[in-house]
Amino acid sequence: MKPPVFDYIAATSTDMAVAALAAAGGEAKIIAGGQSLMPMLSFRLLRPSLLVDINRIPGLAYIEEADTCLRIGALTRHFQIETSPVIARHLPVLSAAMTHVAHLAIRNRGTIGGSLSHGDPAAELPMIAVLLDATLHIESVSGQRAVRAQDFFLDALTVDLDSAEVLAEIILPKLPPNTGWGFEEIARRHGDFAIAAVAATLTVSDGSIRQARIALTGVGPTPVRAAAAETLLIGHALENKLVESVARAVRAAIAPEDDLHASADYRRHLAGVLTDRALHAAWRRAQGEP
Amino acid sequence: MNAYIGTSTSRIDGRAKVTGAAKYAGEFNIDGLVYGAVVESTIAKGRIKHIDASEALRVRGVLDVLTHQNRPRMADASAAYKDDVAPEEGSPFRPLYDDKIMFSFQPIALVLAEEWETARFAASLVRVEYETAAFTTDLQAQRNSAFVVEKPESHRGNADKAFAAAAVRHEAEYFIPIEHHNAMEPFAATAIWDGGGKLTIYNKTQGVQNVQRYLCSVFNMKPDDLRVRSPFTGGAFGSGLRPQYETVLAVLGAVKLRRPVRLALTRRQVYTVGYRPATIEHVAIGAKPDGTLDAIVHEAIAVTSQHEDFSRNDTAWSGQLYKSPTARYEHRLARVDLPTPCDMRAPGAATGVYALECAMDELAVALKLDPVDLRLRCYSDRDQHTNRPYTSKQLRECYRQGAQAFGWSKRRAAPRSMRDGTELVGWGMASGVWEALQMETAARITLTANGHAEVASAVSDIGTGTYTIMAQVAADLLGLPLDNVTIKLGDSTLPLGQVEGGSWTAASVSHAIAKTAGEIRKELLRLAQAVPDSPLANATVDGVALVDGRIVHKRAPDRAVSIADAMRQGKVDRIEREGTVQFEDDDSHARNTHSAIFAEVKIDEELGVIRVTRVVNAVAAGRILNTKTASSQIMGGVVWGIGMALHEETLLDHRFGRFMNPNIAEYHMPVNADVYDIKVIFVDEPDTRINPMGIKGVGEIGIVGTAAAIANAIYHATGKRVRDLPITLDKLR
Repeated sequence: MKPPVFDYIAATSTDMAVAALAAAGGEAKIIAGGQSLMPMLSFRLLRPSLLVDINRIPGLAYIEEADTCLRIGALTRHFQIETSPVIARHLPVLSAAMTHVAHLAIRNRGTIGGSLSHGDPAAELPMIAVLLDATLHIESVSGQRAVRAQDFFLDALTVDLDSAEVLAEIILPKLPPNTGWGFEEIARRHGDFAIAAVAATLTVSDGSIRQARIALTGVGPTPVRAAAAETLLIGHALENKLVESVARAVRAAIAPEDDLHASADYRRHLAGVLTDRALHAAWRRAQGEP
Repeated sequence: MNAYIGTSTSRIDGRAKVTGAAKYAGEFNIDGLVYGAVVESTIAKGRIKHIDASEALRVRGVLDVLTHQNRPRMADASAAYKDDVAPEEGSPFRPLYDDKIMFSFQPIALVLAEEWETARFAASLVRVEYETAAFTTDLQAQRNSAFVVEKPESHRGNADKAFAAAAVRHEAEYFIPIEHHNAMEPFAATAIWDGGGKLTIYNKTQGVQNVQRYLCSVFNMKPDDLRVRSPFTGGAFGSGLRPQYETVLAVLGAVKLRRPVRLALTRRQVYTVGYRPATIEHVAIGAKPDGTLDAIVHEAIAVTSQHEDFSRNDTAWSGQLYKSPTARYEHRLARVDLPTPCDMRAPGAATGVYALECAMDELAVALKLDPVDLRLRCYSDRDQHTNRPYTSKQLRECYRQGAQAFGWSKRRAAPRSMRDGTELVGWGMASGVWEALQMETAARITLTANGHAEVASAVSDIGTGTYTIMAQVAADLLGLPLDNVTIKLGDSTLPLGQVEGGSWTAASVSHAIAKTAGEIRKELLRLAQAVPDSPLANATVDGVALVDGRIVHKRAPDRAVSIADAMRQGKVDRIEREGTVQFEDDDSHARNTHSAIFAEVKIDEELGVIRVTRVVNAVAAGRILNTKTASSQIMGGVVWGIGMALHEETLLDHRFGRFMNPNIAEYHMPVNADVYDIKVIFVDEPDTRINPMGIKGVGEIGIVGTAAAIANAIYHATGKRVRDLPITLDKLR
């Protein structure tokens, strides 16, 4: 079907975009890559009165390296992140995750700001934002605010973003030295949303884990950090017994649901298996193995 | 002469298909074409209290909205809607007939507009008020109220008693969910007025004459005034055997507006056209320790609609295939509030033989016998339930050649005993069986003096290669190059052709062509003998053949007359003959095709990911007319078997009585990445009894047994027996 009738503004600055959003009184939607929005319009799941196109705003698509972090403009396309040497050097877990985001044609258009703002419960980028303790910069006519990724995802397709706000920038802290990563995903078909996926980082020195991060997607309404499981790893070397208890803690930390694609029980099982594999990969990489 | 028969001939319609020259039902354009869009019921059962189309009618470009209240006249009698393939019992669904709702997504209104987009938009504005009624769509909930539809043709002894007394017993229940055909081309009909009140309907169908008779009956039209054409079909797999509702709606629109109308269904709408019914299969086999069988019991319960009794032969394969002194089989139906199910590739065998062949595998495990060995120990050269010999049966050779090509002798018997790195490896096998049917069919051949022949029959080519094999047979029997033969099919005005189904078309139409070519040869011989000093003066029609454009004496090939000379001398420009072939009922022999399937799976046990890495399918199906198209048929069947085993399942939400994944994003099917190595072997199977050319047909045998071979391989890999299909990742937990 064709989308319902809507007005359209091509914003040329962020100020212009947020002004248009504010004036629309909650009836407007931002269009960036349009990879989720356009199908939803065509199915008429959404009927906004106004689309505010941010594609022509200069300077909203960038990957910048600072001392301790990387700054990514909200309009940065998935393929730019996937192929960025800067990201490959500092946040290789993000580069790896990007290859699981839908298909190339979609990655050519889809944006990081769009994916995070959409908040699909089985998408990869929200999980990575939570894994890497991202900070999200949000703008509106009333000013700017920053929110931690942990606090941003409220429920399925529901994020801490008012209808008059736009996500402008994502700040990702660099990983400490001696950090290895792992990323494991299962989908019925490559490119589909995950049935379950796990991303992990381990920072290791003197043979023991100093910092551990485990995040999951597809196993609940929002991406999950498995904090209790992470704590179990601190101060230890990775060995199978430990991984088993970590996997148990991960399974306990999630509340997956049955749906068309998989049962809750299978998702919980997968969460453990994928955690095991992701941790082993992270451990190996932290030792300098490829 | 066999210059083409039996060879690997490429499709003669291949170029037309890849260049887009081949037109499908929804692609015939004409000025003034009106587009239709269907409004579907949002409830599963009840009646329409009120339809308000006023808002839809206000949309610019909308011409009309047809409902049961304002549609043109259709037949009242239920019998008028019975097509050739309709179940014997029950009343066919009558689209837009009255206010009754019988299933979710039922068509209840047709919006007609100048543009397709307009029609679809306006369809969303039609407001409907319903009176809802209680409904059920759950087979498991209805199984106890299922009724017997086919009495067993023959009880052999007391199978229940023999099973109870057997030394080794296996008994289990298997399940196959609702599956959909998902042909690439959705159903479509374009109805075009030809002038003089004559209507041509381009329709996606497996039987143009079936649709033509049906529409004439429903709309009380004269046969001469209604023509149905279906030159190309983008797959149908049984879903196009019966006339479907899009063709009725297109004609309703054309009659109401007196304009040409096209209706193309959406993918979701195609899901209400027909499906493989969900089936519970209960199999019990009793055996002696040496692997000879004492008893086979096979009971099936399948869903059908409330209004028709659709049933298939799910269970009799178990009584037929293996040597057993006793057998009992029974088919039951459970009514649910869904559309009537329909045939889908190897209907009955794909499901019933799945259960039988998994049960045989489980019995082999219980007996500690190799699965192939068990099947050889109860091998039968006679159809067990009628105690007749087969016209031919090379299944033993299928086992031998299939096992050899697969490397079966290297199999370790114990489950979980074979590995490849971290993956478990499993090898499984199964037998396949299907019928070798043939139906009355006619063909017309027109031979012109320039050495060109046109061959015409109202059969269909549903993507199987019918165009090509017809040309091969005609070229060989007329002694012409393949390029000099033109095929016409898929047109109701052509000589008698049955619906393309049951794997019967190749045998049937080939013999219609052979018979008609014989008539052509007879006429050519008559002309050749009229030539002065004819070298064929004393020849008989059976004593000559048509070879390389000449009429040749079979035993003295130097005695010949060129076809062109014979026709020129006789002052004949063209010879046209039409012949009908009938196949005598011959109860003295059973007619079947057989196969042996060997499958390898590799499994990541932690995740449950299953890959079918190798399949060998050895098929015995009489004479193979075209090794290339026949291999493709078997390969397609194997791919579908992989889907049946691992992926395919139409999900219902019983609270809504509705299909929940009616699209090819959420209905999983194998894609290239899921398909590894498939080897097809055709075992030699000379058969002079079934029909003169020894043809059996290969459209369906490829899927039969494939899902069982894969399920058995998964058991061998993991030691875990999953009996309800599909074997999704989570079921290996």
